[in-house]
Amino acid sequence: MATVREKGYTHWDGRLEERRLAWYPIARTGIQLAFRKKAFKFFFAGAFLPSFVALGGLYVSERLEDFKALVKSNKALLAIDPGYFKTFMTNASALFALLVVLVFAAAGLIADDLKHSSLQLYFSRPLRKRDYLIGKMAVIAFFVLVLTALPYLILVIFKLIFAGNLKFLAEYPWLPVSILGWSAVLTVFFAFYFLLLSASSRNTRYVTILIFTTYLFSDALAGILHQIFRTPYMWLFSVRANLQQAGAFLFGVKLPFAFPAAWSFAVLACVCVLSAAVLSRRIRGVEVIK
Amino acid sequence: MSIEVKDLSFRYGKILALDGVSMRLGEGAVGLLGPNGAGKSTLLRILLGFLVPGRGEGRVLGFDIRREQAKIRRAVGYMPESDCFVAGMDAVTFTAYFGELSGMPRQEAMKRAHEVLFYVGLGEARYRLLDTYSAGMKQRLKLAQALVHDPKILFLDEPTSNLDPTGRREVLELIRDISANKAIQVLLSSHILDDIEFLCETVVILKQGRVAAEGRMDDLRTIHYSLYELRLKGDGEVFRRDLEAIGCRVEVMEDGLVKIYTPEGSDRMDIFRAAARAGVQVRYFVKSQTSLEDLFAGVVGVD
Repeated sequence: MATVREKGYTHWDGRLEERRLAWYPIARTGIQLAFRKKAFKFFFAGAFLPSFVALGGLYVSERLEDFKALVKSNKALLAIDPGYFKTFMTNASALFALLVVLVFAAAGLIADDLKHSSLQLYFSRPLRKRDYLIGKMAVIAFFVLVLTALPYLILVIFKLIFAGNLKFLAEYPWLPVSILGWSAVLTVFFAFYFLLLSASSRNTRYVTILIFTTYLFSDALAGILHQIFRTPYMWLFSVRANLQQAGAFLFGVKLPFAFPAAWSFAVLACVCVLSAAVLSRRIRGVEVIK
Repeated sequence: MSIEVKDLSFRYGKILALDGVSMRLGEGAVGLLGPNGAGKSTLLRILLGFLVPGRGEGRVLGFDIRREQAKIRRAVGYMPESDCFVAGMDAVTFTAYFGELSGMPRQEAMKRAHEVLFYVGLGEARYRLLDTYSAGMKQRLKLAQALVHDPKILFLDEPTSNLDPTGRREVLELIRDISANKAIQVLLSSHILDDIEFLCETVVILKQGRVAAEGRMDDLRTIHYSLYELRLKGDGEVFRRDLEAIGCRVEVMEDGLVKIYTPEGSDRMDIFRAAARAGVQVRYFVKSQTSLEDLFAGVVGVD
C-alpha cells in the first residue's frame, strides 16, 4: 500500500448545494451498478424478446396478404387491439422475465447496504429516509418502465407507421394511457415488493430466493386453495393473478378471474402499505442501532 | 464554540444512554473517551441528527441539532467505526458518490475524490473494487469519504481500529495533520487512550451517560491528582497503608519503583511525613507526568 499523504490536503473552494432531487445520485448509481453485472445484461436483453415478437405480430397483421400461408386460421390472434397489447404485457412469461431482471437489479438494493453497513454513510449526508427510499425505488422504476412502457409505446407508433394512418389510435385513443397505467401499477407494486424483501435480510442470495419463493409460492398456494374451495377469490392469494387481473382491467378487456378487479387492486395496495410500514421501521432501526 | 450541548438526555427504551450531558467544545482535536456503554456513539449520533434527544438542546457550528440536521450533516464529515462500503464500486466512484450526496456537483465530486484518495494514501488503488480492499484500506477509504466534501468538523469513531501498527501511526499522523494544519476540527471517539493522547488537546470522559471529566488534558491531569515516583529503602507496607489511609493510590512496579497518586488538595509533604512515620528512606523522588490512562482510571474508576 502506498504511504499516506502522497499529496497534501487542499480545501475545496466550491459551495455545497441543496439538491431538489437528493435521491437522483442514488438512482443513477443503482442503475449503473446493475449494468456492471454480466448476467444482468444477458437477462435484460432477453426481457425485450416479447416486445420483438409483438413487433413481428404487428408487421404481419398489416401484411396479411403476404403471409397468407403462415397465418391461415390464426387471424384472430393477429387482431391488433388493446387485448393484443394486454396479452404481451401481462402474460405470465413476461411477468416472470421482468421478475428475473429485477432480481438482478434490485435484490441487493437495501440488502447490500445492510450487509456492508453503508446506511450510516447515507444518513450522515443531508439525506432524508424518503430520499433514500425514492432513490432505490427509482432504480426499479427505471427498469420496469424501460421494459414495459417504453417498448410498447414504441409499438403503438410502429403500428401507426405500418398502417400508414391514425385509424388505430382514433379507435383506441386510451391505449397509450392503459400502457402507462399498467406500467405504473407494475412499477409501484414491484418497487415496494422488492424493497420490502430486500430490506428483510443482509444476504442478497437469500433475498433472491425469497423473491422467487413468494412469487411462485403465492401462485401455487392460490391454485391449491382454488382446487379445494372452488371459488375464484382464492386467486387473490396469487401475486401473478392479481397483477394480471389489474392489467386486464386497465386494458379494458375481459377479466381472467371471476371477481371484481378492485379486489386485486386492494390486495396489491395492501402489500405496498405493508412494505412502506416495514421499510419505515427497518431503515430507521438500522440507522439508530448498529 | 463549534459544539455546544446542554442537559442532553437520551433513552433506548428503558436504558438511559445519556443523562444530562452538557459541554462546550472549541477548536482543535477533542477526544471522546469512555468505557463501552458510556454513551459516546449515542452522543455522536445525536450531534449528527440520527437521534433526537429526549431532553436538552445542542448546536453544532451554530446549527440546532433538532431542527437543522441537514445543515449539520452538510458541514460534518463522519467516519463510522464499522466497515462500510458499497459493493461493486471502486474507491473513486464511492468517494465521489458520497461527495455528490453531500451536495457537491458531480464533476467536482469526482475531481475531489481523486485528491482525497491520494491524500489518504489510496491513490494507486483508487480504481480497485472495494470488495478486494484490506481492512486498513477500508479504514482509509472511510476517512476519504468523510473528507471529500471538505467538512468543517470531522466525527471519527474509532479511526484506528483494524489497523496494524504502521497503518495506525500513518492514519494518526494524517488526522493530526488535518486537525492541526487544515483548520478542520476533529471530534474523536476512541477507547484507545494512546490515540487520544497523541491527537487531542481536549478530552471529554463519559461514564454511564454522564460527563465524568472535561477539559484540556494538561488541566485535567493537574486538577484531579498528581503522580509521584519513588524508590524506597525499608519496609514499604506500613508506608503504603499510611498513604492509602489519606486517599492516595499506591502502585509498586516490578522494578521496585513506587507510583503514588495523590488526590486533589493533598501535599507532597504528606508523602515524606508518611515515610518518616513508617521509618523508610526515600532514595528517589520525582513528580511524574500523569498519562491519560492514569486519568481515565482515576475518573472512570477502573484499573
